[in-house]
Amino acid sequence: MRRALRNPQLVAGGTVVLLILLVAVFHPFLAPYGVEQMDMANRLSGPSAKHWLGTDNFGRDLWTRLAHGAAISMSIAMASVLIAGTFGTVIGLISGYAGGWLDLTLSRLVDLFLAFPPLILALALIAVLGPGPVNVTIALAAAFWTQYARVVRAITLAERERDYVLAAEAVGASLPRILGRHILPNAAGPILVLATLGVGTAIVTESGLSFLGLGVQPPTPTWGWTLSYGLRFLRSDPWMSTLAGLTIMLTVLGFNLLGDGLRDHLDPRGVVRGIRKNPVS
Amino acid sequence: MSKMGGFGLGVVALVALLGTSAPVTSAWAQPAKGLIRIGTDVDSQSLDPRLMRETTGFRAINLIYSALIQLDDKVSPRPDLATKWENPDPKTWIFTLRRDARFHDGRPVTAADVVFTYTTILDPALNARFRTLYTPIDKIEAVDEGTVRISLKEPYAPLLSYLDLGIVPKHAVEGGRDLNVNPLGSGPYKFAKWKRGSRISLEANADYFGGKPKYDKLDFVVVPDNTARAQAFEAGDLDLIQSPLSPRDIKRLAAAGKAAYAKLPGIAVTYLNINTKSENLGDPRVRKALAMLIDQKTIVDQIYEGTDQAATSLLLPSLAWSYAADVKQPAFDPAKAKALLAEAGWKPGPDGIMGKDGKKLSITIGTHSEDPNRVQTVEFIQNVLKQNGVDAKVAISDWPSFSGGVQNGRHDVGLMGWVALVDPDRLMYGQLHSAGGLNWGKYSNAKVDAALTAGRAAASLPARAAAYKQAAAELAEEMPYYVLSYQGFHVFTDKALTGFVPDPRGYLRSLAAK
Amino acid sequence: MLAYTARRIALLVPLLVGIAVLVFLLMHLIPGDPARVLLGDDATKEAVDRLRASLGLDRPLPVQLWLYFQRLAAFDLGRSIFQSQSVASLILARLPATLEIAFMALLISALLGIALGVAAAVKQGSPVDVFCMMFAQAGVSMPVFWLGILLMYVFAVELHWLPAIGRGEPLPSAIGAAFSGRPEVLLKSLSHLVMPALALGLSNAAVISRLVRAAMLEMLSSDFVRTARAKGMGEGVVVFRHALRNALLPVVTVIGWQCGVLLSGSVLTEGIFGWPGLGQLAVNAIAQRDIPLVQGVILTFAFVFALVNLTVDLLYSAIDPRVRLG
Repeated sequence: MRRALRNPQLVAGGTVVLLILLVAVFHPFLAPYGVEQMDMANRLSGPSAKHWLGTDNFGRDLWTRLAHGAAISMSIAMASVLIAGTFGTVIGLISGYAGGWLDLTLSRLVDLFLAFPPLILALALIAVLGPGPVNVTIALAAAFWTQYARVVRAITLAERERDYVLAAEAVGASLPRILGRHILPNAAGPILVLATLGVGTAIVTESGLSFLGLGVQPPTPTWGWTLSYGLRFLRSDPWMSTLAGLTIMLTVLGFNLLGDGLRDHLDPRGVVRGIRKNPVS
Repeated sequence: MSKMGGFGLGVVALVALLGTSAPVTSAWAQPAKGLIRIGTDVDSQSLDPRLMRETTGFRAINLIYSALIQLDDKVSPRPDLATKWENPDPKTWIFTLRRDARFHDGRPVTAADVVFTYTTILDPALNARFRTLYTPIDKIEAVDEGTVRISLKEPYAPLLSYLDLGIVPKHAVEGGRDLNVNPLGSGPYKFAKWKRGSRISLEANADYFGGKPKYDKLDFVVVPDNTARAQAFEAGDLDLIQSPLSPRDIKRLAAAGKAAYAKLPGIAVTYLNINTKSENLGDPRVRKALAMLIDQKTIVDQIYEGTDQAATSLLLPSLAWSYAADVKQPAFDPAKAKALLAEAGWKPGPDGIMGKDGKKLSITIGTHSEDPNRVQTVEFIQNVLKQNGVDAKVAISDWPSFSGGVQNGRHDVGLMGWVALVDPDRLMYGQLHSAGGLNWGKYSNAKVDAALTAGRAAASLPARAAAYKQAAAELAEEMPYYVLSYQGFHVFTDKALTGFVPDPRGYLRSLAAK
Repeated sequence: MLAYTARRIALLVPLLVGIAVLVFLLMHLIPGDPARVLLGDDATKEAVDRLRASLGLDRPLPVQLWLYFQRLAAFDLGRSIFQSQSVASLILARLPATLEIAFMALLISALLGIALGVAAAVKQGSPVDVFCMMFAQAGVSMPVFWLGILLMYVFAVELHWLPAIGRGEPLPSAIGAAFSGRPEVLLKSLSHLVMPALALGLSNAAVISRLVRAAMLEMLSSDFVRTARAKGMGEGVVVFRHALRNALLPVVTVIGWQCGVLLSGSVLTEGIFGWPGLGQLAVNAIAQRDIPLVQGVILTFAFVFALVNLTVDLLYSAIDPRVRLG
């Protein structure tokens, strides 16, 4: 733990992430205005005493919108990472451990999804499923689960031949036990790193979907929506887009730093290093 | 010893190179002499006039092809290929053609080409988008090489306004030429090149019967994002941009004063399509109440920033002969709306939401994601409705999903538009006549039917105007359509571009002047 | 090596088949109807039905899928519903543009990434290190469309240094023109490429810089390099001749993965910069439900991506014989 605190990336990233999470959880108490409280006479005003971060294109308090947005964007991002991570890990474990035709088939499935550019896959899925936060979460999970599968498979392949695993098999331990108790802990570090970095990716991808006009419906205040709306007014009223963009940037930065810091601790062998895909902007 | 080394040096050199070769009006911003670069939002999909579908296609086709008539900037028919026309009886039109028009391959334009064009567009197998505009035509025949007669099934007054359809060369099409990608017309500009997705290039037709156009070359440059297109214009990469543009950019460019700016009342409307067959909206009182909860002024003034005009009814001021200012839709009046809802049996529940027989007044308002102004409008409308007791939700999807829903009558309220409204018939007949092919909500009202049919058949403009006024008044009470605004049309041009006359449909024929 | 290559190429076939099926299903599950979109606002029911029949959309799905595979086997990607042209010709017309922008983005990210990574590694722990890594991280954390619009605003609208939109002469012919005494053509092409490529490449620069930094740090403290230093070689030589070359290894692998990311990112960037590439084609095709076109474009993406991955894997094993393939 002491060692952890000496890693500047970990500390910086961790602090940012903690702050954002706190805002996300406590936003109803932190927001002075209603999320849907419009005030058309005061649209797009910059920061002031009345509105700490100014107002958006409908005159709604931007700080309130962004704080509420923290809750929403974070829930969507983290949920999608949870789903992607779980699904990918399970596939990776089975694929790596079972070998043979099961591995072959599952690997082809992974390749199939990998071959799709993530944003386009998310686009197509949202078109099929319809808009809304649940569907966006599913679409994001589907776009990014493959990296977990690949990493976990690689680790499983390496661990499978190790003595302690062979011993467990010899003793007749059940499959879930072998996978869960013996192999999975070795993958936990890299998975956590991937997941942390993945949250950042999910946030940025969601903003890309909002830019294309798909994803969560208004008036839900996701950060991506606020940014892409703000950009329409960039030339005359840059506050809205700049503040929303900075919020996204700082949050993703926080997660990336945290992920990198975690990597130094949990993934010294660098299994994730060569395999992870960087965020899609 | 150098950290940067070769790589760093390379990067620095590249930047320096680009920097030094950039005197302020960067070389690449300078238009080649005689070339006008027109910014456009979508690439054309077809340059065959019978199959044209989107704005860029209309405008390019209008320059490449000639037609029987052209509509001027006041939407009045003017001679083009037809030098004069007669209307001896309500079901017959006779056009006399000019004899000096030639296609760009040198062959003369004759009545046979006109007949061929209209016959093929009416052929269902061609799947022409605008086929229904011409279905009242019974027969079209070449009386002789220079005369065409159109016989109608019944009187069809708007016909003349639809005859600006580009005439295609019969010999070329029958010879296998694909006009979709290789157009051949007889208009002031010839097709030169098409870089798909980015640029359509046209060249002046030296043998044009109206005289060789002043500008040698025209390029349609595709920039999908409205803001990016405005930025490109400001950077000097485009000489002309038109609606659709973001209202902010319009305001800013107009205020900057560096470009020539023209604002026209357009011939397009933005409206709310209210599904009279949907659960809560069958009662006209509910629809009227809904209309009374639309804060039209704020939407037009704030979201559209005054770039469009608040609408009063289905009658367009730009079609002056048909406009009647005294026909008015319900105005924004939340108190009256609540009273009307109460009359229809809707009472506010404990949470403020209107309810009747245990059901909430739930309405979904949808629009398509591609238009950010409409998206904002819907978000705003939802907010106001919610404040006044209506459980309103927003549903935004892309155009195919959204329009598919509306066209199958599966929506409650949809925010959409109609363009190219050269005649009141174009806005009302297909959409609101019970036999109309565009009446997706299956709205049926005998009074409206009678008025619209009369409008089609009447011979004189005043008689037609009276019929449409009657229809519009009835529709303003019934509210299957709430017209939000008459779309303004905005054009910015480089000040050096002379002789350009803006057109409410964005057509660019004036660039073809000598 | 040969066997491995052959096997990988053979595996491409089922992959592409799988993708074709997946895309087919997706496109038919998405609500909305290309016939209706084609006919636009003026779609009457009979017109829509007629058009659907002529497009073959009214046949049962398995039949349509079978017909599609029949055509695919003959390398026929079909005809775009909206653009009255064969899908193959539309893709071929746009592919070079996307390849150009991807290539430039890779180049920029490689150059930037290596520069930043080297600087950070050599000056480890110093403010330079921190700054370089922060700069790189910032690039990854910004949504690409935000970055693109800002770049355009600064460099095109305000400074007039670069053109805002569009594409110049294709690179190969521009380079040819430069050699035959017309360098301004090449400069023009590059000027159009810089901003979109930078917007796309900046995020990848971060990943590469991190990798390079880590690899360089390992190398710089290794016995091999210490020996070189002890022998009295100049620091620059040490850094470049020995450390950097080995640090480039992981960069090669990363390049492969970046391709899919680039193709994704290009979707947003192409729209902003009016760049006539495949990304825009894909988005528009999905938006219109131009089913044959969507299928064709995604298959092309997948094919290109798979090829790039294969090349990268082969390259990697060629450079570092310790890596075992398969």
